Amino acid sequence: MSKKVFLGMSGGVDSSVSALLLRDQGYDVTGIYMKNWSEDLPGMHCPWAEDLADAKRVATSLDLDFEVWDFEADYKTRVVDYMLSEFQKGHTPNPDVVCNELVKFKLFYDRAIERGADYIATGHYARAEDANLLRAIDENKDQTYFLYRMSDEATARTLFPIGHLTKPEVKKIAAERGLDVATKKESMGICFVGEVGIKDFLSNYLKTIPGEIREVETDQILGYHDGAIFYTIGQRHGLYLGGGLPYYVVKKDLSKNLVYVSRDLNHPELWVDQLALTDLHLRNGRTLADLAKMPDLAVRLRHRGELLPATARVVETNTRGDQCSCEEHKDSGQRPGASSSKNIGLLAIAFANPVKRPASGQSAVLYAGEVCLGGGYIA
Amino acid sequence: MIYLDHAAATPVNRSALAAMLPYFDKQFFNPSAPYLPAKHVREDYQSAKAAIAHAIGAKGTDLVITAGATESINLAFTVVAGLDPATPHLLTLATEHTAVLSAAKPYGCELIKADHTGLIDLADFRAKLTDDIVLVSVSLANNELGTIQPLAEISEIIRLARQDRLAHGITTPLYLHSDASQALNLLDINVSRLGIDLLTLNAAKCGGPKGVGALYIAHGVPVHPLSLGGGQERGLRSGTENVPGVIGFATALADAKKHLNGNRKKYTEMVELLKKELGGAFSASARSSLVAPVVTGRPRSSSAVAPHDLTKVENAPQVIFLGNPKHHLANFLPLSFPGLDAERLVYKLEEQGILVSTGAACAANKATKSHVLAAIGLSDAEIAGSLRISLGSTNTIDQMPIVARALIDVVSAEIARQNH
Repeated sequence: MSKKVFLGMSGGVDSSVSALLLRDQGYDVTGIYMKNWSEDLPGMHCPWAEDLADAKRVATSLDLDFEVWDFEADYKTRVVDYMLSEFQKGHTPNPDVVCNELVKFKLFYDRAIERGADYIATGHYARAEDANLLRAIDENKDQTYFLYRMSDEATARTLFPIGHLTKPEVKKIAAERGLDVATKKESMGICFVGEVGIKDFLSNYLKTIPGEIREVETDQILGYHDGAIFYTIGQRHGLYLGGGLPYYVVKKDLSKNLVYVSRDLNHPELWVDQLALTDLHLRNGRTLADLAKMPDLAVRLRHRGELLPATARVVETNTRGDQCSCEEHKDSGQRPGASSSKNIGLLAIAFANPVKRPASGQSAVLYAGEVCLGGGYIA
Repeated sequence: MIYLDHAAATPVNRSALAAMLPYFDKQFFNPSAPYLPAKHVREDYQSAKAAIAHAIGAKGTDLVITAGATESINLAFTVVAGLDPATPHLLTLATEHTAVLSAAKPYGCELIKADHTGLIDLADFRAKLTDDIVLVSVSLANNELGTIQPLAEISEIIRLARQDRLAHGITTPLYLHSDASQALNLLDINVSRLGIDLLTLNAAKCGGPKGVGALYIAHGVPVHPLSLGGGQERGLRSGTENVPGVIGFATALADAKKHLNGNRKKYTEMVELLKKELGGAFSASARSSLVAPVVTGRPRSSSAVAPHDLTKVENAPQVIFLGNPKHHLANFLPLSFPGLDAERLVYKLEEQGILVSTGAACAANKATKSHVLAAIGLSDAEIAGSLRISLGSTNTIDQMPIVARALIDVVSAEIARQNH
């Protein structure tokens, strides 16, 4: 009897080709549209109904069973609420990372297993070998940055049917096999809102409070913003400070609602040669000590970002301790539904050369070769 | 391609398209401008309006041109603007188009029941027609079922109610609005004979362009403008006139009227052929469950739903023809394959180049279940399995056996997949 697979289908080309490949490989595939968000917001149309129709059309043309699983309430509490509370603390969380950890590879996975699945599958660019998460063959599309927090258990029972293909190859298969979604634009769902999109999204939920933008060197007021929480260190767009050389956000003072900027790209606040990671999720039973011993450790600080050679040093293990003086660190360990406490620790990552400072709350993902070791949130 | 969704959109009639074209470039002038070429455009526009009005037994000056049926409906409902919405002043049918139900909502409205074929429940109408009601809105034909409402009877009830109010010294006026969007190309409509005060027309459903509609307003009916401006259309609809649109509407409507009887006969034959082929194919395996509901539609009592339950359908493929067997638009064939997922049937038929719709197109896009089919008492399984075939100018009788064959194939394949 063929193995039963529940495949998340978004209506995009990646999950559609995944459906086609799984079916060709002889799996008993049920396509699932995960309804995570359906609300239109001012200036933002949510295309869920169109996406659902696309997914269902593809599933039907492949003669697959198809269902809609509604995770909207869970997505709101587990992803959106968390995101809002993190932003209010001045962090810049990544909703995709959280959605994968707590919705797609948790709720969706659990429900599929309950329904008798042998595997779940998604159209992510990544590879799973047993419980190991490996980078995709297409370096340009690799999505392990968003997947590092999925559990080992789920990884062991996940298929990534397009992880060994490049995006052009996927599109070619879709076109050759006559899938209407071959030319569809990349998903613009809430999981993929960009920097500006996030701000628009947040402004529907968080109160905007006007404040000053000051030049860090002179303390001179250069302009005004609508809430320091909406700004990210290193950000240069959306400041509206007029022409000339660009300004970069170098510092935020949340208590005074101040945003500090500089024209100096070499400003020390913009660069770091080490980072502290909290709320770690370590894969395949590795410990902090294991990471510290890795000779070929590499770190990725953003999706599709460069793999930076690095060394790790354990600052603290187990519980949140007194050594950590920073308030945010304590908070980040208490996230609802977060991974087990054994992974909470503090790891310092040092780079050979200074790197542009990533925003706190973003993820640093660790690799050894093609294997994803896990990662943590930047403090 | 075989297109079977003319209730959603019709291709623009060729002569209408040809008639429209000069008004985009050569005769582009603003009808309100003072020079002679503009005057000619103004005259053409007014003649076109008069022709549209003539088709419903009215004068050009009784019509306000709008951007479609939705706007016409909203304009019509301004008759009850300013009245306290806490007391319902508007009475409409539960199976009306979403445009009617949504536009009615802010004014406070009461819904009249429909029977299992989609016909208005006249007893319920009479009961709900209190002295507070100012406007009654009932479509001439339903957009999902094709059921034609007894407008003459409705209008007679309204006439008697007016007399009654007069006799009791009640001065509250009472008007009748009808949305004739779906019916314009297949029914003879005469507003004075039917006693209609407000009639919504739509060009896009009868071979005219999209974005053009009209509202007939009988003398003295207090309609208020939705937007203000240059005072065109008697001040009720400001904005430079859509000359090509109205020319196209008039031409398409004239053409539809010319072929009215021929088309009715043609569509009736096609629908009968489809019903015969489908009934034949599915009766072999499910004759017993097929016989009763086929012609009469669904019984309303929920206890009678049992034979059509989702669980029972697996071995008994069946088709139910919906709507009213007697009072229906000739080009409509609403049907249901209970227990099947109609959206899958749509996609499967689409692969074979056959385009049909589930329920209503707007409802399908929102992934919500049809309020019309729910209002006539269909079960969830029957609603989920419902398709709407609506014929039009693109169809020929030769296409029908192909359509029937394709439907039989995709339905059988879906049943086989489900049973697998």
